[in-house]
Amino acid sequence: MLTNHPTLRYIGSRGIWYLATLIVAIAINFFLPRLGTANPVDVIMGKVASGLSTEAAKEKEEAYLKEFGLVETNNLGEIVRDSESHPIKASLLTQFGSYLWMTLQGDLGTSFLNYPKKVSTIVAEAVPWTLALQFPTIVLGWIIGNLIGALAAYKRGVVDGLFFPLSLLSCSIPFFAFGMLLVYQFAIIWEFFPATGGYANDVMQGFTWEFISSVAYHYTLPFLSIFPVLAGGMAIGMRSMAIYELGTDYIKYSQWLGIKESRIVLYVFRNAMLPQLTGLALSLGMMIGGALITELIFSYPGLGTAMLKAIEGNDYPMIQGCTLLIAITVLIANFTVDVLIGILDPRVKAGQAL
Amino acid sequence: MKLFLNLLKTPSFVFGVTLFLATLGVALVLPWFYDVDTVGRAGTPYLPPSAEHLLGTNHLGVDFVSLLITGLRASLYVGLLAGCIATLLGTFLGVYAGYKGGWIDDLINLVTNLFIVIPYFVVLILISASLEEGRSLQLIAVIIGLTTWPWTTRSVRAQAASLKSRDHIGLAKVNGCGTFQIVTLHILPYLLSYVFMVFIIQIAAGILVEASISMIGLGPYDSISLGVLMDDAMKNEALGDGIWWAFIPSTILITAVVFALYTLNTSMEGVFNPRLRK
Amino acid sequence: MPIFEVNDLHLHYLTRFGAKIHAVAGVSFSMEQGEILGIAGESGCGKSTLVNGLMGLFIPPLYPTSGDVRVGGESLMGRTPKDIRENVLARKVSMIPQGAINALNPTRKIKHLAMDLIKSHEKGGNKNEIQKRLYDRFNLLGLDAERVLNSFPIELTAGERQRSVIGLTTLLDPEMVIADEPTSALDVTTQKAVIKLIFNLLDKKIFSTMIFITHELPLLRHVAHRIAIMYAGQFVELGTAEQVVFDPRHPYTRALMDAMLSAEPGQAKKETKPLEGAPPNLAHPISGCRFAARCPSAKPDCRINEQSLRIVGERQVRCDYAE
Repeated sequence: MLTNHPTLRYIGSRGIWYLATLIVAIAINFFLPRLGTANPVDVIMGKVASGLSTEAAKEKEEAYLKEFGLVETNNLGEIVRDSESHPIKASLLTQFGSYLWMTLQGDLGTSFLNYPKKVSTIVAEAVPWTLALQFPTIVLGWIIGNLIGALAAYKRGVVDGLFFPLSLLSCSIPFFAFGMLLVYQFAIIWEFFPATGGYANDVMQGFTWEFISSVAYHYTLPFLSIFPVLAGGMAIGMRSMAIYELGTDYIKYSQWLGIKESRIVLYVFRNAMLPQLTGLALSLGMMIGGALITELIFSYPGLGTAMLKAIEGNDYPMIQGCTLLIAITVLIANFTVDVLIGILDPRVKAGQAL
Repeated sequence: MKLFLNLLKTPSFVFGVTLFLATLGVALVLPWFYDVDTVGRAGTPYLPPSAEHLLGTNHLGVDFVSLLITGLRASLYVGLLAGCIATLLGTFLGVYAGYKGGWIDDLINLVTNLFIVIPYFVVLILISASLEEGRSLQLIAVIIGLTTWPWTTRSVRAQAASLKSRDHIGLAKVNGCGTFQIVTLHILPYLLSYVFMVFIIQIAAGILVEASISMIGLGPYDSISLGVLMDDAMKNEALGDGIWWAFIPSTILITAVVFALYTLNTSMEGVFNPRLRK
Repeated sequence: MPIFEVNDLHLHYLTRFGAKIHAVAGVSFSMEQGEILGIAGESGCGKSTLVNGLMGLFIPPLYPTSGDVRVGGESLMGRTPKDIRENVLARKVSMIPQGAINALNPTRKIKHLAMDLIKSHEKGGNKNEIQKRLYDRFNLLGLDAERVLNSFPIELTAGERQRSVIGLTTLLDPEMVIADEPTSALDVTTQKAVIKLIFNLLDKKIFSTMIFITHELPLLRHVAHRIAIMYAGQFVELGTAEQVVFDPRHPYTRALMDAMLSAEPGQAKKETKPLEGAPPNLAHPISGCRFAARCPSAKPDCRINEQSLRIVGERQVRCDYAE
């Protein structure tokens, strides 16, 4: 059946590719931090152990070792010990196996800093904020940026002369630096908008008008600090794609046939948009990274802030949990875009690369 | 030569070159005329700009002009080193894959796409976080270079593949040239302008990425870069206290360098790629 | 009255750096209803520029310098793009472009492309009627209308794409068709089929008058009534097909025939002689005969005197020394 259905076959093969990529991502996530510091528990123990008795410290260390799957455990979940009752270190491969198994079950381990809070719990609290900030910003930035880029390519002249350098300038500014400028001007000097947080401290979380308006009020600056930079980058890409499309044989032929201008603009926009969609998928990782850093400027209660705290506190499970989540999100977004392109572009199904 | 003359006739190219040379001047020439001191306390913390300290002092009372000059140098250094590594590695793999085709191409393509899809940001954090002790400026530049090459490979591969079918390559092959010879003598020269444009973008990317990782506290321990300056400003409440000179000049410098490089790239694209011409 | 007239047409390109390339420099001819004019020349001689400038729609960087083009007595110059688009293109003059393989929007089904074309030129119209018209026309072209109309260009063979392009170009029954190398980049069998198709449409009176551009001079003898030879933006010889192919008078036409392998009777035994050198750079003003630098029989004054078309042996030749 698949052989007769190019779209499904395409989606299937992409799906398998992304599944393989996911496993590589998990492996990178597991092995990379272990290349450097031999044992994360040593690092954390260095901080926790002071002030504890030797006995208490040992107990704590073993609890950590077990928690992070660094030692062999039996069926009952007890630590397997050698003859001198030292815990037996698990091999790297066994560790990876248990890490993979736990990850697939949605268990990202336990946070060092907020012990014994689970990483997945902390992440679950942060993710909605990050999604709410990034998803609309990226989608809107993509649409507006593409419109500006297409307009600049089609009109050229004054419109292009104005928008092109502006777009180039706006995508030269790091997200976070632009955020700092905005905070300084709008929150510190003019006090139009709050400088930090996702909502006012004295408002209870809930589905109330008060809470929602407070969230929207706090949302403005973070949104504005990501949006122009993103839209600028998109506009640059769209502009050169649209200029390319405008020079193709098929557009010239359509013009010779006297097809309406509005139709031709539609052709150009649609066909230039397809590689832009691929471009979006490819740069998602970078965008999300940049936007996460922006969260710190605003102490926005999202994943970026959580990850920064984890980095500052050497909270390895938390760092790994965050990076894995980011990687998975980017993979899912990429897969979605790939499927979309497969449906929209007949050339992709036919196996011809864009 | 004619292309170069055409470039000089392009206003945006001249603007980009001028701006970039100006930032280079600040980083390399200004220190000859200005007493750069990034250690000594020149005054009280967060001293506002004055005739003595043109851009004030930082949270420790160090002169900000000195810090900015040093920071710009470090950022340019990171950008250049990371850009070189990413461009060399990426170009080599891209040309090789594009020329060879077959399973080598498939393999390199697979790995490239893999590293493009897995956010390099994640890889950077994981490596940086694990290298607690030895995170020097140089190492950071190397890590950035080693994680951003797939972009180069991707674009160079497509160009090399389109060159492959040209007649002179076939001739060289018939005449018994080895792969190395063909790649270096018959393919690379045609890609030079393209690779140079990619290089420019990679420098800009290196500078931006370094600033980002410094901002999340994974910056170099041994150097002051523009990113480190912004991180310091952020950590020491410069924003809340309205100490604008602690972050606005560094923002302007980063933006100026990156904007200059982007402008150079797009103006060259306009000249080298006739399709983008009016 | 001629259906199509071109009067001393000059066209130029503008390069990004402000230079003007005078790609067409003074072309004149006229055509009667039902006539087929062939235009041949080396690549870069200005053939394609000429056809792009014959429709009244100038796509930058191509601009008209001077001269006039008239269709049915009506001038096409100085009219707005909208006017040209609505009243001239596809209905009065229509073009089969070079490289038809890439001429179809890759993300649009042939059916929708055809609909766009019809809707751009006709108001209203019953959807079923339009559909039937499309099916009839594509069947006439020898295509499996049902399948081709519902396909994206990438799903079609090169031959099918070429036929679809011809179908679209002639869909609104234009008075005249300009075919710009319609057979280049096709294999020999497909080439023949395409020529046959074009003549089939001529027979069926879908259109009657045609300009046929090619760099293959021998092909034109079978296709065209009259042939014009173009060099460096000018016609150097214009006569009947027989005259130009079998009895060329301009040194360039002769060189062109000598450079070609031909299966024509009486020509097969001759040796081919390649033409040395390259055409002049049209960015700079040229004095004297444009072909002088490559002409085997050039005289010293050829490089000084501007040549003009004159009647030699019942056809026009741009050479003072032609006999």
